[in-house]
Amino acid sequence: MVNKLNKNFYNTVLCQAFSPCGNYLAVGDIYGVVSIFHLSRVVQADNESIITKEQLLPKYQIEVKKDYQINSLLTAKSHLLIGSVGTIYAYVWKNIRSSKNVTAAWSIDIPNKKDTFERTEVNCMLHSEKTDFIYAACDKNIYIYDLESRIAVKVLENHTDYLHSLYINGNDLISGGEDGIVNIWDLRLHKVSNKIEPYKDEKLARTEPHLGKWIGAVGGNEDYILCGGGPRLSLWHYRFLSNFTIFPIEDTGIHVAEIYQDRILAGGRSKFFYQMSFSAEVISEIPTTAVTTYSAAHQDEPFKVLTLAGSSGKIDVCNFMYKNQQLSLY
Amino acid sequence: MVKESNTSIKKKRKTADGEKEIQTDLYKKVVEFEEKEAVNHDSSQDAKIFFELCQDIREDLQQIHMQKKNGSAKESVFKDLQVDIFIKLCIIKKLNRIDKLKHVAGREALAIEKQKCDSIKLNYQNLVYELQHLVGEIKKCLAFKSKDEDIDLVPFEEFMKDAPKSLTEKFVKYDPEDPEQTHSLRLTRLEWELTQRKNLAQLCKSLIEDQQKLEQDLVEHREKLSALGPLLANVVKATHPLQEHLQISENERRVEHRLASLLPEALYIFYVHIAAYRSVHNIKLEVEVLGDESDALQWKEAAELSDVPNEEESEQEADTQEVEDVVKTKKRRHRKSAIQEVDPLEEKKKRLLKSHPLCVQVTAAIDEKFSLVMKLNYYDKLKIITVISEVNLPSDITANTASEILCGESVLSGLTDDDDDGRECPNPAVSYQLKRAGFTSFTQLVPEIGHPYRWAQRVCGTDFLTQQTNSSQIANSNVETVVKSLFKSLHARYDLAKQMQMLEQNMVSEVPASLDLPPILGSAPSKWSSATYHQFCQAEFTQHQIEEELVSSSDTFYSLRVSRDNAVLEAFVVIKKYYPEVAPIFALCLNFEKKRHHSLNCEDIREIERVINTSWTTGSGKESSWLLAAQVTYLCSCLDMFLETTFPAKFSQKTSFIWSSCGRNRRRPFKYKKMGTGLFTQY
Repeated sequence: MVNKLNKNFYNTVLCQAFSPCGNYLAVGDIYGVVSIFHLSRVVQADNESIITKEQLLPKYQIEVKKDYQINSLLTAKSHLLIGSVGTIYAYVWKNIRSSKNVTAAWSIDIPNKKDTFERTEVNCMLHSEKTDFIYAACDKNIYIYDLESRIAVKVLENHTDYLHSLYINGNDLISGGEDGIVNIWDLRLHKVSNKIEPYKDEKLARTEPHLGKWIGAVGGNEDYILCGGGPRLSLWHYRFLSNFTIFPIEDTGIHVAEIYQDRILAGGRSKFFYQMSFSAEVISEIPTTAVTTYSAAHQDEPFKVLTLAGSSGKIDVCNFMYKNQQLSLY
Repeated sequence: MVKESNTSIKKKRKTADGEKEIQTDLYKKVVEFEEKEAVNHDSSQDAKIFFELCQDIREDLQQIHMQKKNGSAKESVFKDLQVDIFIKLCIIKKLNRIDKLKHVAGREALAIEKQKCDSIKLNYQNLVYELQHLVGEIKKCLAFKSKDEDIDLVPFEEFMKDAPKSLTEKFVKYDPEDPEQTHSLRLTRLEWELTQRKNLAQLCKSLIEDQQKLEQDLVEHREKLSALGPLLANVVKATHPLQEHLQISENERRVEHRLASLLPEALYIFYVHIAAYRSVHNIKLEVEVLGDESDALQWKEAAELSDVPNEEESEQEADTQEVEDVVKTKKRRHRKSAIQEVDPLEEKKKRLLKSHPLCVQVTAAIDEKFSLVMKLNYYDKLKIITVISEVNLPSDITANTASEILCGESVLSGLTDDDDDGRECPNPAVSYQLKRAGFTSFTQLVPEIGHPYRWAQRVCGTDFLTQQTNSSQIANSNVETVVKSLFKSLHARYDLAKQMQMLEQNMVSEVPASLDLPPILGSAPSKWSSATYHQFCQAEFTQHQIEEELVSSSDTFYSLRVSRDNAVLEAFVVIKKYYPEVAPIFALCLNFEKKRHHSLNCEDIREIERVINTSWTTGSGKESSWLLAAQVTYLCSCLDMFLETTFPAKFSQKTSFIWSSCGRNRRRPFKYKKMGTGLFTQY
């Protein structure tokens, strides 16, 4: 008698990160567990050798903080930073790979100003090579930490509700959150230089009003800003801040939006993960196992791969056009 | 010429004796001289002289001849020539003699040499013979085999360890290369072996003696015991009047025990074990043997009689025998006519499905109101045990779903195995028997003959997998587990029934306060009814659970409806056999404003499903009384929470929470904390 319905059947993966060498994939789930997959063995397997079920299971699992969901993962230099609730933990990749002595090397507690009920989830983390700073979106604020000293350099406060997503573009930092506002920060002045409010644009509104005004993901390049969430996924001119393209995809909320090379990657509460051109032509639709896609991680070296994770115990491994493997947490 | 001389010598001997010595002497000397001469003469020279002489003679003769012809010959010349020829002839004669002597000498020498040669040859042959003899002897030596080589000796290491030091001392520095040492070692080992064997033989002898003694003892004890039996019977008989007088009635049990002895072996094994188990454990379990004693006796006799022939064959024989054998077939004809009246196939079917007249009835009760009665029957021809069960429902259980879950089949199926639903026959031979008798499938017989659960076969000591029948050991090891899981199942089902009774009245039974569950405020259950696996599979919101094989057709399905205003949540509730170890599984679908939200298209419903299905720690066995109710309670509050946070304009807030959503997944606060008036949070 085995209870087949286990917790992992309903698991949700919120974030992913590749190891510095690119051979491993770390995923964080809602039970506070980071699972490490040996990705290269699955992707680079010879045609002849059959991939066993065991190779698709996690190689190692770290229980960071039981039942506190892991909202973000980031590989910064040789460390894996784990954004849990209230704390950022750092693990050394070398130890994770060897599965020996896997304990947090250091951690940063996010300051908790008001009361115990404040949500100090670390929803997004970015690392800037140029300044060696870590940008962490915690609740309404963006904390800037120096990676070497782990001292808070600055706190950016302007949003009225918690943040979902960050994007660095040169000297600018773009942030989007639950309040529906996309802020563009000037990192030299640490001030908001510009903002867009997609929910005010009627063309972006949905037929279901209950989806709300939140911005689930922001992205961009030198010329454009990409954002979406409760409002539809849309592309904006960087300079003029005017709406350029609205993407006609079927979804009930955007959680992943990114400009990758000359394409736009988007996913969320939808059956598909989309790749589109700037003029909103759909290049590919990958059916996802997860009901909602929360994370899309990709790399070009040492091998080209795109992994899609979300509200499922399974993780889709794609080659940008179609799904060819499926990692499993159970 | 020799002869001549010999004869002349003889003549001389005869003439004068005086001269004899001198003559012989002379003769001897002459002979010696001649012999010497002969030896010293060169024969080739002689031959040469001989040829020259012959030539000279010829020439002389020629000359004479010529002169005679011419007539001019003178007498003197003739005479000279004749003398010359005679002289030459004399020389030839001398040569001849010498040659003769030489020949004799040569022959003598040859004879001597020949003799020498013969002796050498003899010598050589002797030697050859001796050699062959010796070779034969050597071969014999080489082929020699000693008897001791066949003896198994104690290995060298062991010998060194066990033998007395006086023996082993010499071989401490044993060198296997040294043949002398090897030999002496072998001798010592042989000796040691001999002494050891002698000792062992002695030991063996003494043990055999002991055995014989014990055997004798046994015979004696046996005799004593057999004498005891009748004595005891007498004592029992003697106590009868006393018992009657004192009105001590052990009769009931004795009757039952007597009945039990008539039970078929399989049921008897079960009866013995279950009765023994009951006598040790304080449980509400009653065991009885039901049936008519005389029927059972008849059955037993019939069984003993029909041991020999196969029935069908005897039937066929009857046909042929009937004609010849009129007297004997009277009975048979009677039987045959009876068969002709009824369809023979029907008769065969009836015979196949005849159970033993006795059965064992077990009544398990968990309180005064609720009890389960099961009858175990034995089918002699099919060699299986079947169970017919009946439930005495308590008066407070009136709901359809509740009484359904309490029915015997629901309680008894899967007691020990997952798929043991008592619809398949555990004995593989049965399907062939049925085919022969004209039945199509076993399953259609189940309502008639009862469920042949696998556990039922095992508690009766039969295991069809390992081909063991009537094994007391199997029964012994299974009775306890089966009884325990029977009671566990009964309790669990009774608890479920109570909760369903409430649910059917659209109420939720109370859950323990220690669970920290929120009170039901807005949403409430509005319908509870049974459903089928087919319905479950047809719904679009259950596909993920079917794909993962979380549910199977042997589970029990219910449909639940929870509503608040115009929002209606449809749910399937799947109750596994192992409730409460495995919590009931919920599949949810919310209908609101013509849209269907379920866990395959809505993140939040999936989250509710997760919380309802997985946030229970089971295993203590006490959850059965509240688990289903707790899940429904929790479901109601989760639905409230979802509606109030997603459509705040349409549903007034009755629950209290801090954040309507948080995290990248915009998680809803489905976790309840008993702080103040109760608070919902995400963590």
